[in-house]
Amino acid sequence: MALNYQKIERTLGGLKLAVILILLFSLMMTIGTFVESYYGTEFANRVLYKRFPFMFLQFGMFVSIFFAAFVRLPPKKRLYGFYTIHSGLIMIACGSFITWYAGIDGNVLLHPNEPARMVYLDQDVFKLNFPDEGLAVEKRLPYRAFSTTIDASYEGLTLKQYFPYADLQLVWESSNRAPSEVALPSIQHSTQYMLYNENVSEEMLMSLHPEAIQFESSLSMGPLSLHYLPGPLVECFNHTNESKLIIWNSFSRTCTTPEELGIQVQQTSSGNRFLVMKDKESVYSFFPEHSPYPLSADFNSVLREAPVRLFNRALFETEPHLFLFGKSVAYFDREQEKWITSTYDESVSSHISLPWMGLKIALIRHEESLVPKRRPIAVLPIQKNNELIQGRERALEIQAQDQSFWVTNNEPLSLMINGRRVEIYLTKETLTLPFEFVLTEFKMDTDPGTANPASFESFVKLFTSEGAHNHHIFMNNPLKHEGFTFYQASYSQNPNTGLYSSTLSANVDQGRFLKYLGSLFLVLGSAWHYQITKKNKRLTPSSPLIAGLQSSVTDEKPTSGVQS
Amino acid sequence: MKSSLSLFSLSLFVFLFSSLGASKALAQADFDMSKPPYFCSQELGKLPVQQGGRVKPIEVHAREVVKYLTGKTSAEGYSATVLYCLLSLEGLDLSAGFKLNHKIEHVKVRELLGDKEVSIIPYDDLVAKAEVLRIERQRLTVDDGYKKAVTKALNQAMLYQEIKIGQNWTLPLMNGPDVAWIPLTSFLTEERVLKQNPNTSAPNPFHGALFEAKSLYEQFHGTKHNIEFIFASIGFPSVGLIICLLALAALTLFKRFTLALVLSALTVLLQTVYFVFRIYISERAPVTNMYETVVFSGYSALILAMFLGHFKKEKVYLYMGLGYNVMCLMMTNFAHGMLSPGISPLVPVLRDNFWLSTHVTVVIMSYGAYALSWILANTVLFKKRFGTLTSRDELYYSDIIYTCIKWGSVLIAAGIILGGVWADYSWGRFWGWDPKETWSLIVFCLYIAILHGRYTNWIPTHRFVVFSAAAFMSVMMCWFGVNYILASGLHSYGFSEGGALFLGSFFLIQTVFIIMTIPFMKSDSSKTQTA
Repeated sequence: MALNYQKIERTLGGLKLAVILILLFSLMMTIGTFVESYYGTEFANRVLYKRFPFMFLQFGMFVSIFFAAFVRLPPKKRLYGFYTIHSGLIMIACGSFITWYAGIDGNVLLHPNEPARMVYLDQDVFKLNFPDEGLAVEKRLPYRAFSTTIDASYEGLTLKQYFPYADLQLVWESSNRAPSEVALPSIQHSTQYMLYNENVSEEMLMSLHPEAIQFESSLSMGPLSLHYLPGPLVECFNHTNESKLIIWNSFSRTCTTPEELGIQVQQTSSGNRFLVMKDKESVYSFFPEHSPYPLSADFNSVLREAPVRLFNRALFETEPHLFLFGKSVAYFDREQEKWITSTYDESVSSHISLPWMGLKIALIRHEESLVPKRRPIAVLPIQKNNELIQGRERALEIQAQDQSFWVTNNEPLSLMINGRRVEIYLTKETLTLPFEFVLTEFKMDTDPGTANPASFESFVKLFTSEGAHNHHIFMNNPLKHEGFTFYQASYSQNPNTGLYSSTLSANVDQGRFLKYLGSLFLVLGSAWHYQITKKNKRLTPSSPLIAGLQSSVTDEKPTSGVQS
Repeated sequence: MKSSLSLFSLSLFVFLFSSLGASKALAQADFDMSKPPYFCSQELGKLPVQQGGRVKPIEVHAREVVKYLTGKTSAEGYSATVLYCLLSLEGLDLSAGFKLNHKIEHVKVRELLGDKEVSIIPYDDLVAKAEVLRIERQRLTVDDGYKKAVTKALNQAMLYQEIKIGQNWTLPLMNGPDVAWIPLTSFLTEERVLKQNPNTSAPNPFHGALFEAKSLYEQFHGTKHNIEFIFASIGFPSVGLIICLLALAALTLFKRFTLALVLSALTVLLQTVYFVFRIYISERAPVTNMYETVVFSGYSALILAMFLGHFKKEKVYLYMGLGYNVMCLMMTNFAHGMLSPGISPLVPVLRDNFWLSTHVTVVIMSYGAYALSWILANTVLFKKRFGTLTSRDELYYSDIIYTCIKWGSVLIAAGIILGGVWADYSWGRFWGWDPKETWSLIVFCLYIAILHGRYTNWIPTHRFVVFSAAAFMSVMMCWFGVNYILASGLHSYGFSEGGALFLGSFFLIQTVFIIMTIPFMKSDSSKTQTA
C-alpha cells in the first residue's frame, strides 16, 4: 500500500502532470480571452471562468503544486527557493479561494443627495412582492450563459424560461379584445418613426392603443417634445385663426375654431382669456392658458369626460414641439412664423424635414389596429468598447393562470392573481450596508480644451452609528470602512437635470493578506531559486554564434546536462 | 576604431544641427505679405498651442496634424509648421498657393466619393463631400474596415476644415494668470499687429504679435513647450536608430566588440536622455501607449543584455540586445500607422505614476527579456538551418536562452502581481480575467511549462530552442494582440489601427520559419559524435 501512496503522490507532484495542467490552463484561458472579446466579460465568466471545469482545473493545479513540494520533502538546501515559490503559490490559491467563497463584490449607486445603503451584487434574482400582504419572495436565478428552463413554482406562479441575455423584438399582434360594437371605433393607431440628422438617429414607436402598455404617446428628446395624437386631429393645425385656439370634438372628430363658431374670446380682469361655448345641452367654460378641459358652468369642477376640448396652439410655439398624427405631422416654424402640417406620401423612404438642427423624421410603419409589443428573444451578447451592444436584457417567462408573461430587468410586471396583487421584479441580489452614504458632490475635470474626463471624484457623507463623516473618493483613492472598501468605479449624468450620479464598487476581501503574502513569496522565491540553481559549471562554445564573437571565458570541462 | 568614432560623431553633429540651422535661416528670410509663405516660417514652431488636451509647441502639433492629413511630416515642399501656418492663414483670406491633396485608401470610399479610379482628391473636395461621408457613417452598422475608413476620411475632412477656417491654431490670451485660448482668426487683429514696434528683434510685426503672446503666456505658465520644441527638433528616434544600427554593424560585420560596446552605451545614453525629456514633458512614466512601450522594451532589453553580458562575460548578449533594440527603433521610426508617437493625456484610471512606473515598466522589461531569448533562439535555428552548429554549441546557447527566459519569467511574475495589487488598490479586485491580465498569465504559464520541461530534461535542447522561439508569439499576442485583435478590456488604451496586419505577418513569418527548420532539428546528431 505504501508503494501505491508514493506512486500517486509522485504522479500528482510530477512535472508531466504539471506541464499538462499548465498547458490545458493556458489553452482554456486563450479561448476565454477570445470569448471575452466577442461576447463580453460577464458572458466569459458565465461560460468559462466561473464555471466548474475551469475551477476544477485550477484545483488540479493547486494539487499538483502542493504535491510537487510535498514529494520533495524533507527540505534540501538547494530547493529552498523552490519551496518558497510553491508555498507562495499555495498561499495565493488559498487566498483566492477565501475571496471566492466569502468575498463581496458589488456596486453602490449614488444619486445626488439621496441616501444609499444598497450594494448590488452579481447574482441575478427574481422577487415577488405581495404589497397588500407585505409578503416578499426572493429566489436566485441560475448563473448561466445560455437560456435555461427553470420550471419552478412559487405562490401560484410558474417560472418557465430564463434568458440571461435577451433583446427585445418588436412584434405586431392583433388585439385580444373583441372589436368594439360602437359605430365609431376608438382611435388606436400606432406608428413607428425614425428621427435623425447627420449625427444621431433614434427610432421610436408611439401608440394610442390601450393594450400597447410598453409604448407612450408622448416623448421628450432633449429640448424637443413629441406628442402623438389621433390622426383626424391634424386638421386642427391647418386653421390660421387669430386666437390660435382650436376646438376639438372627440365624438364627431371634427375641428373648429372659436372664430368659425362665432364665439367671442373674452378676457378676465386679470388678463386671462376665457370663452364659453354651448354644445347641445351643455355649457362649457374654457381657460385656454391653463387647461384643455372645460369647467362646468358654475366653475366648480373640471369636466374631463366632456367631448369637447380646447387647444391653445400658442403654448407650443416657443419651445420645439412636434405633433405626430400617424401619417401626418405638425410643428410651428419660427422662421416662417406659422404652423406647418405635412403628410407622408406613400413611398417607403419618405421623410419630412423639421426646422431643428437639421432633423428629419421618417415613417417606418403605421398600423391602425394592430398592437405593438416588445418580446424578449434569447441572443448571444456582443460587447463593443466595454459595453454590451446586444443582449442587454435579462428576461424571465412567468406563467400565471394559463397565461404567459415576460418580465425583464428593465420592466417589472404587475399582475392580479386570484384577487391578489403581485409585483414581479428581475433584479440583482442586494446587500444592505450597516451604514449609509449620501453623495454631496460629484466633480469631473476634463483635459484642457477637450471633453475627455481627466478625473472624476465623489464627495460623500458617511452616516454611521457614531455620526457623520465626509469622505473624498476618487480613482486610486478608495474609502475603507468596517471591512468594506469603496472605489470610484464610474459615473452617469442625468440628461434632464445635468446632475451626476456616481457608482462606487464595494468590496470585501478576506483573502487579500494571504494573496499579497503569497505573491511576495512567489517573486522572492523565484529570484532565490534562480540564484541557488545558478550553474557553477560553464560551457564554452566551440565556435562563436556570430563570427568574431568569441566568448571571453576560458574553457572548462563541458557537461552533458543543463542542470540536474 | 577612433576614426570611425569621430566620423560617427561628425555625422551626428550634422544630423543634429541641420534642422536647427535650417530653421534659423528661414526665420531671417525677408517676408513678403503678397505671396506665400507670407510670414509663415519654421520659427513659428516654437509658439505654444493648446490642442488634444494639453499645451504643446506648434511644431509638434503641426507634425501630428500634417501626418494625419497626408501621412507625411512635410508636403507641398513646406515643412509641417509652415504648411500648417499657410493652411491656417486661409482663414484670413490669404491663399496658401497650393491645394492639399487627400489620399483615399479604401476602394469603397473611392466609390462612395464618386470614382473608383480616383485615389487622390483635393481636401477641399473632400470637405464638400463630408455630408456624404457623414450619412454613410450613420448608415453603417458593422464596425468593419470600411466604416473605419469612412470615419477616418470624415475626421480628416473635419480637421482640415477646422484648420482652414483658422480655428485649429489657438493662441494664448492672458488675463492675469488665466489663459483663454483663442483661434488665430480672432487673435490676429489689425490693431494687434500694427501696435508692434518695428524696432523689435522680431523679423516682422506678425511674428512680433505672436511671440508677444508667447512671452506673456510664459510669464505664468512656464516654458515647457520650448523644451518640447527642442525635443522634437533633435529627432531622437532616427538618431537612436542610426547609432544602434552602427553598433550592431560594428559587432557583426566589422567584429569590433569594443566599438560596439561604446556605441551601445551611447544608444542607452541617448535613449535615457530621450526618456528624461519625455517624462519631463508628459509628467509621467514613459510607458503609457504602444509607441512608448516599444521604445522602452528595446531600451530595457539592451540594458539587461549589457548587464548580463558583463556578469556572464559573454558577448552574444550584446548582439541580442542590439538586435532587439534595432527592431524596436525600426518600428518606432517606420510604423507610425500602428504606433503613434504623440503625447496625449491619459485616461483617469492610469494617472498614478507610482503604479505606472512599477507595474508597467516591470511588465515591459519582461517582454524585453523574453525578446532577448527569442532573438537568440531564432539565430540558433537559423544557424542550424543555413549554417552549422554543433550540438555542444546548441546546448551552450540554449543555456543563455534559458537565462533570459528565467529573467523574463521572474519579471513577468512580478509584473502580473504588481498589476494585481494596483487593480486591487484602485478597483477593488486582485484579478478579473481582463484580457491583458489573462494573456500575461498565459505567457507566464507557457514559459513556466518550458522551464519546467527543460529543468528536468523532459524537453531536449533542440526542442527547447524551437519552443523558445515559438513562445514569443504569446508575448506578442499579449503585448499587441490584446489591443489590436481583441481590443477590449481595461488595458485597451493603446488601440490604433494597422496592428492586426503587423501581428498576423509576425505570426506567419515566425511559424513558417520554425516549420522550415524542423527537418534540420536533429541534424546535429551526426556532428555530436564527431564533436
